[in-house]
Amino acid sequence: MTLLWVGEHADLDRELVGGKAHSLNRMHALGLPVPPAFVLTTEVCRRFYADGERLGDDVVSAVRDAVRELEARTGRVFGGTERPLLVSVRSGAAQSMPGMMDTILNLGINSGVQAALRAHVGDAAYAADTHRRFREQFERVVGTAAPEDPWEQLIAAIGAVFRSWNSPRAISYRRHHGIADDGGTACTVQAMVFGNLDDASGTGVLFSRNPLTGDPEPYGEWLPRGQGEDVVSGRHDPLPLSALAERLPGVHGELLAAAAVLERYGKDVQDIEFTVESGRLWLLQARAAKRSPDAAIRFAVGLHEAGVLTEDEALCRVTPEQLDAVFRPRVAPEAKASAKLLARGEPACPGVGIGRVVLTVEEAESLADSGVDVVLARPTTDPDDVSGMIVSSAILTEIGGSTSHAAVVSRELGTPCVVGCGTGTLSGLAGRVVTVDGSTGEVFEGALPLAPCSEEDNPELATLLRWARGRVPGFDGPPRALLEAAQAAIARDAEVYAARR
Amino acid sequence: MIDLLLLQAMRLKGRLDAEAAAACGAIEVSEAQARLDELVAVGHAKRAGTAVRITPEGRERLAALLEEERATLDRAALQRCYDRFTEVNGELKAIITAWQMKDAQTPNDHTDPEYDRGVLARLTELHGRFAPLLGEIVAAVPRLKPYAGRFERAITRIQEGDHSFVARPIADSYHTVWFELHEELIGLLGLSRAEEAAAGRAV
Repeated sequence: MTLLWVGEHADLDRELVGGKAHSLNRMHALGLPVPPAFVLTTEVCRRFYADGERLGDDVVSAVRDAVRELEARTGRVFGGTERPLLVSVRSGAAQSMPGMMDTILNLGINSGVQAALRAHVGDAAYAADTHRRFREQFERVVGTAAPEDPWEQLIAAIGAVFRSWNSPRAISYRRHHGIADDGGTACTVQAMVFGNLDDASGTGVLFSRNPLTGDPEPYGEWLPRGQGEDVVSGRHDPLPLSALAERLPGVHGELLAAAAVLERYGKDVQDIEFTVESGRLWLLQARAAKRSPDAAIRFAVGLHEAGVLTEDEALCRVTPEQLDAVFRPRVAPEAKASAKLLARGEPACPGVGIGRVVLTVEEAESLADSGVDVVLARPTTDPDDVSGMIVSSAILTEIGGSTSHAAVVSRELGTPCVVGCGTGTLSGLAGRVVTVDGSTGEVFEGALPLAPCSEEDNPELATLLRWARGRVPGFDGPPRALLEAAQAAIARDAEVYAARR
Repeated sequence: MIDLLLLQAMRLKGRLDAEAAAACGAIEVSEAQARLDELVAVGHAKRAGTAVRITPEGRERLAALLEEERATLDRAALQRCYDRFTEVNGELKAIITAWQMKDAQTPNDHTDPEYDRGVLARLTELHGRFAPLLGEIVAAVPRLKPYAGRFERAITRIQEGDHSFVARPIADSYHTVWFELHEELIGLLGLSRAEEAAAGRAV
């Protein structure tokens, strides 16, 4: 088994093709558009080592044929001067481990192809930038300068992928975790798509639900005429998804439908990276989305309501830490999303405090006397600051850590406190109304609303805890312990069920 | 000497009542009340409810008294004491923080008596180790003698079961007394807290 194509088999064995190809294949099997890709299996890696770290002629020949097939499928030419084909080359073991070769992007570019790209995309700077980045990345990752010939680039990269299986870090990781050395890594080669090709192109990210607030509405960003690296580099400001819906409604619809499929199949909220090339949608990656604690609760309940999760499964999707977090005072996630962050430091005493920033104890005391909420901001606190600290809704310092006077005193007072915001960061805030989150160490502009922190105010939280109580009737204890007990009961039942089968 | 003690206490505490003044001056409460009344009468303090606060004139007088005192001090001995204090300072602050926080994210809700006992044992042990250094500090700056009694009182109250004497502000908890002593040493050496904090010695 030398070379497999993504999309040709209903399922690909992860041991054989690695995690990346496995997930691309799964997306393809779900009817979702992924750029064409082929994979050299872990068997090829094993033979590579057996042959003294050499790629056999049959392998090289198979790769040549595969690239011709990529050309046919994409209508592009590898090393070509009109519609050039560029590829990404990735390592992929069955189990991820450090030391494996990093991904190489834009392989297949040289001076001639750069010129072709310039004409094709209509952007000289982009073409030059792509060539430079490829050369730097190749050298860094493979360890030698990139050859001019795209074929040589590809063969060198494939060899580097297989050699990385025995990098010192990978070997050491396998020793440490008792993983056998004969597994080998696969190598996935995928056609690149151009998000900057024309006005009907772009790149973006979509979450099937809002990862901050938990709203059951898709949320994402869209960068017209952009490549993935542009979004990451922050060079341009992305637009909201509504811009994509306006410009390319068919693509937008297809993307949302894909997100729904992936959410149902993956049984979890999805974080999807996509690129549109000349009005055609391509999905690059989909994985379970990172989420805020508030979102975690709402996702669990929402996915159950959508029929994707059972109650038990939903209960197991929320961690005890996330549950703790939604009982703590915190800024409402919707407000936080659009809030302006004025300062950040080390959280010293949890809670949220709102008030006008004052820089002296005298001002704090006199304003507080007239009923104004104040936030005391000091370079660092002295003993005689304590009377001002007592009347403040929150305390901020520029210098100091978690054992500082401000931290100790604020904890005794139970006053939200953020320390160590940085020299010179606070004096400019004098007179402004701010919201201080002592749990996260953030200081926001304005008086922001708070998120509900009790079952009474938070319907999804109430639902989750009701399910938990149903799982362990008669349990008496705080919410975190209740959730842990319910999850333990679910795990026990699963073991019993598995044992019976 | 008493004036210096009380004016300094006013400066450190912001508000000073007769009881706190008695502790800071190592005098009886009745004498402390009388002294405070005198300071108000001469304009170095002003009434603030049942307590007093320092006035600008009081600050001037305090600065003058401190300068007189500085001239009499063995600065080298004091610097040596301060360096040794700095070493213990980090440890004390870590113990206080351990009392308040079980780890970086988890406040101590004091439902684990064994954990609490462990932290208090560390505090008592540190206090025992600190006593000789405190003695040397007092030898170098006789005015600071009342601190010994204030530390002892805090430890005693803790051992009697009143755990607010670990760190409660305003009251003479161990942390409050420690912090004021640190402030005294910074001032005696002509340093500034902000500089010390930036150097990592007073964070």
